[in-house]
This record gives sequence, C-alpha cells and structure tokens, in this order.
Amino acid sequence: MSGGPVSLEKTPPENLPEGSAPDPAGPVHARRFWSGRRLPAVLVAAVVLGLVGVFVYDVAAVRAGRPAMHWRRGLAHELATRSLGDPWVITGAVVAVLAGVWLIALALTPGLRGVLPMRRDEPGVRAGLDRRAAALVLRDRAMEVPGVQSVRADVGRRRIRVRAQSHFRDLDDVRRDVGAALAESVRELGLARQPRLSVHVSRPAKK
Amino acid sequence: MLRTVNRVLVGLAGVVLVVLGAAVLVGSLDLQRRWGFSLSSAWPFDGPHGVLLSAADRRRYRGRAWWWPVVIAVLAVAVLLALWWLLAQLRRRRLGEVVVDTGDGEAAVVRGRALEEALAAESGALEGVDHARVTLGGRRTAPQARFGLTLAPHAAPASALHRLRAEVLSRAMVSTGLDSLPVEVRLRAVRHRAERVE
Repeated sequence: MSGGPVSLEKTPPENLPEGSAPDPAGPVHARRFWSGRRLPAVLVAAVVLGLVGVFVYDVAAVRAGRPAMHWRRGLAHELATRSLGDPWVITGAVVAVLAGVWLIALALTPGLRGVLPMRRDEPGVRAGLDRRAAALVLRDRAMEVPGVQSVRADVGRRRIRVRAQSHFRDLDDVRRDVGAALAESVRELGLARQPRLSVHVSRPAKK
Repeated sequence: MLRTVNRVLVGLAGVVLVVLGAAVLVGSLDLQRRWGFSLSSAWPFDGPHGVLLSAADRRRYRGRAWWWPVVIAVLAVAVLLALWWLLAQLRRRRLGEVVVDTGDGEAAVVRGRALEEALAAESGALEGVDHARVTLGGRRTAPQARFGLTLAPHAAPASALHRLRAEVLSRAMVSTGLDSLPVEVRLRAVRHRAERVE
C-alpha cells in the first residue's frame, strides 16, 4: 500500500446524501497517516539510557578508585572466553538481527493501519476514519434492511466483507437490498480509496 | 520534527543491531570459508573459535592517556541524548496561546486552552457527533488543530466531516481572523449494540 495518488475505483455517486461534500472529478490525493512512533522511540531510548548509564557510572566509579562492579568483570570474562560458535552467541546475534530488522521496518513504514484516509475535498483538512468506526457504520446500515437478523462487517484496507444472516424474506431479495444499502453506505464513508465490497447473506444455522 | 527524529533514531538503532548481529554471525557460522569470500585481516570475528572481545583487544588502548576521558565523554553524551529523547516523547506539545487579528490593526491573544474547549464544544454539538477532543499545535500566529471526533451511532462519516468544515471550522477562522487553519481529523465511533432503529 503506497500513499501516492489514488483514483476512485467507482464512478461518482449519482445521488449524494444531503450535506455530503461535492465529489472532485479528478484524482484525489490522500496520503496515509504516519504514526509518530512514540512507543518504539520510548523503548529504544530507555534501553540505551539504561545500558549506557550503567556503563558510564561504573567506568567513572572505577576511575575514582572503586572496584568494578561484579557484572562488569563477569561480562568481560564471558566476552573473552565464549567462542563465536557458542549457541548462546549465535542466538544473541540472530535476535539482534531480527530486532534490528523490526526496528528498520518500524522506521520506514507508515503504521496506523487502522486509519483509512478520507477524501480531501477541501484544502487544509486531512481526515482519517477508523476501520472499526467504518465497520460499525456498515453494520448499522445493514441491520436496517428488513429480514436481516445479524451482521458481521470486516473492514480491511482494500476490501470490505459483510456477512449477514437473514431469518425471513427471500434470500435473493435480502441480498439485493443489503448490497444496495451498503454500496450507498460505503460512499457515505467518504474514503479516498473506495474498498471493494463483498456481501454474503445466509440463513442462520438451525438450532 | 520529533516524528522525523523518532524514525531516524529508531532506524539507526535497527541498522546498528543488524550490522552487529550479522558481523558476529559471519564469524560464528564461518561464512567466509563456507561461502568463499574473504574480508580484510582486520575483521574482528574471523571464525567460530574467535571470541567477541578478547582481553588483549579490551586492554589495547588502556595505557593511552586519552582513552578513559574519551570513553567517559562519549558515554556521557550518549546518556544525555537518550535522556533528552525519552523526555521529548513524554512531553505533550500544546499551543499556549493564539494571536487573533482584531481587524483594527490591533492584535489580541486567546488562550490556546480556551480555543480548544470552544472548538471541542462546537464540534461535539454537531449532528452525528457524540463528543470531540481538540488539541492545538503549530505556531501562535499559524496554529494547527487536531480533532478527535467520536461519531454517534447511525452517523454518516462524510457528512459529519462536511458539517465540521462548514459550521465549526469556517466560523473559527472568521472569529480568529486566521487565513488558514490546517486541520487533522480522526473519526472514531462509540461501540454500541446492533439494534434496529424504528
């Protein structure tokens, strides 16, 4: 998923609900929301602070004439005697590489996968909709269709999957109504990139 | 700014970990011999029988007069930087006040907190919005606002956003005399049970 220019996949809606913003004809620029990466920063800073702080304290203490702390002599001994082929050394190196790759990935990716960018209809306003909020909106809309007993809506970044159970009316009718209602509802979400919608309607399992 | 610093430093830490780990693994798994490449003889980890840091290497510079002061200085700088970085995450940057153009050549100052509360109250009263939180950032002459809107059940996100722009933001720009007020909006929803509206 790149945050580049995205064009609407569907044709502009014919009947916009009242109060909805005008649909721009051209491609809509909506960049992803980028996380501030505060938690990883706090963790890395705290680890660096702790490790380096203990070292600088002990080095200074030794310079001031006090004996080195027990762990430091132990560490120097381990570093000088444990061979590189030792399983612990290999494990440590592998863990370091994996943690490093993870940190690099955190630094380069936008994060905030739970926020869907909305259309930028007006300069100066950037909006994002939580995927969970989008799912609630769609579920509520599907529940309004006659014959629908329960609904599960999963909103992904690129597709929306709605599963409904219908306890009366013809299944095909319910399917058609739910599909039409949700297509309208997806447009009302105002997303920059309209996800694909798939609707499944079935009878509830017999008790 | 801090966002960039966070990403650069986190990435840097990742690169350091990957390089160190990979360097040790080259020695541990004897990759130089197995994969048939060779590194310079100064390479510290040259085979599974080497060690991470031999006593001779550790003591190499110990006799020099500059060694311990340099070690302590470098470590101390690292501690201070890490401390600054950590504290910067915990501090919430908020705009204290906003300069308002009164229209007659004078300028007035509005407390940031007061403007935040006014914006939050107005957006919270919008149709389709359950409640709102607003934080101001940016500079006092060019503020920016972050809105957290919690949608009421059965609200359409696009129209709630449109009402925010049409009613709250335009009025706020008129009353503060700002030419532009860049805004970031996050829309959430209150969790509620699925029920039919009759």
